[in-house]
Amino acid sequence: MTCINGVTIAIVLFGIGLLGLIIRRDLVIKLLALGLLNGSTILCLVSLNSLPGGVPPIIRGPSAVLYVDPLPQALVLAAIVINFAILALALVFVMLLVERYHTTDTQRLEHEAEREETS
Amino acid sequence: MRKVSIGIVLTAALLVGCFCGILLFFFGYAGPVMDAAGRYASRAVAETGAVNLVSAIYLNYRLFDTLFEILVFSVAVLGVRFYLVGRGKEEAVERIPESQVVRTSADLLFPLILLLGAYLAVFGHLSPGGGFSGGVVAGSGLLLCAVALGAQAIARRFHEAAFERLEWVILLAILLLAVFPIVFGRLPLSDLLPRGRMGSMMSGGSILIYNLLIGFKVFIGTWVIIYYFLRHRGEI
Repeated sequence: MTCINGVTIAIVLFGIGLLGLIIRRDLVIKLLALGLLNGSTILCLVSLNSLPGGVPPIIRGPSAVLYVDPLPQALVLAAIVINFAILALALVFVMLLVERYHTTDTQRLEHEAEREETS
Repeated sequence: MRKVSIGIVLTAALLVGCFCGILLFFFGYAGPVMDAAGRYASRAVAETGAVNLVSAIYLNYRLFDTLFEILVFSVAVLGVRFYLVGRGKEEAVERIPESQVVRTSADLLFPLILLLGAYLAVFGHLSPGGGFSGGVVAGSGLLLCAVALGAQAIARRFHEAAFERLEWVILLAILLLAVFPIVFGRLPLSDLLPRGRMGSMMSGGSILIYNLLIGFKVFIGTWVIIYYFLRHRGEI
């Protein structure tokens, strides 16, 4: 099956992540969906430059082997690290919100914040 | 209980559909042209000395990117510490002691995991790995120890204040190392060390130093994040 490759799976995962980010009301699940978005982007970038018969870009000798492009893999590294950083910081913010309003539901958070403003 | 309005669902479906359509339009018919791989494969070893081309790119050609990546990581660690430092401990969770099997296996595995992390960082220019993955591997070994022995026992051994200072010293060292070539009249971010013999330990110029520093920094950063999350809860 040639239509099931990394790119199509990444598109499906991106769709699931985007839906979760928009529809679900729980902040932690929104963060998980954000992680899914990031993972699908990484999968897309890495599988786009895969070649049939290509070997990892680590030079073994002067022989002419087909190496895959190392540039997307080096860029993906930054995406992974920054996703980790964003996840850690966002979890801290969720913890602060839960400490103050005792809920992770976005709509109830909005209600609580409005009630606090009016009172 | 949970009601989702139809408008939101329709908007989401429309967004996803547009995204898929754009992606299919771009990549479904003709694949993108990828010809940089050959150029990197033929020239990177001579120019940087590193056999692992991914390391050669992110620690030599595109070091500027990596510097800001490290800064983003540092800012995240700083943010976690800033928001959690005065909190927690009011309703500390009582620690449930782990079984002897978990404690013994953690004792046995921890040096091996540290060794694996150090190996990944040191051999980052020769084989798959690098500073980031090595640091995260070592940090998760520390998390395993925290699960088995308790976070407070680990925190007593690794003094957090000293770690904090060491982390910023390492960040300063990385930044100084990047601008150091100015002293010799070279451009900043250029590599001063000799390239070395291809495939040997001492090849790749300053990539080895960067990998070691980044590995240590990520190790400390991971531990600081784990420590503050655990301390907020009281105990693991």
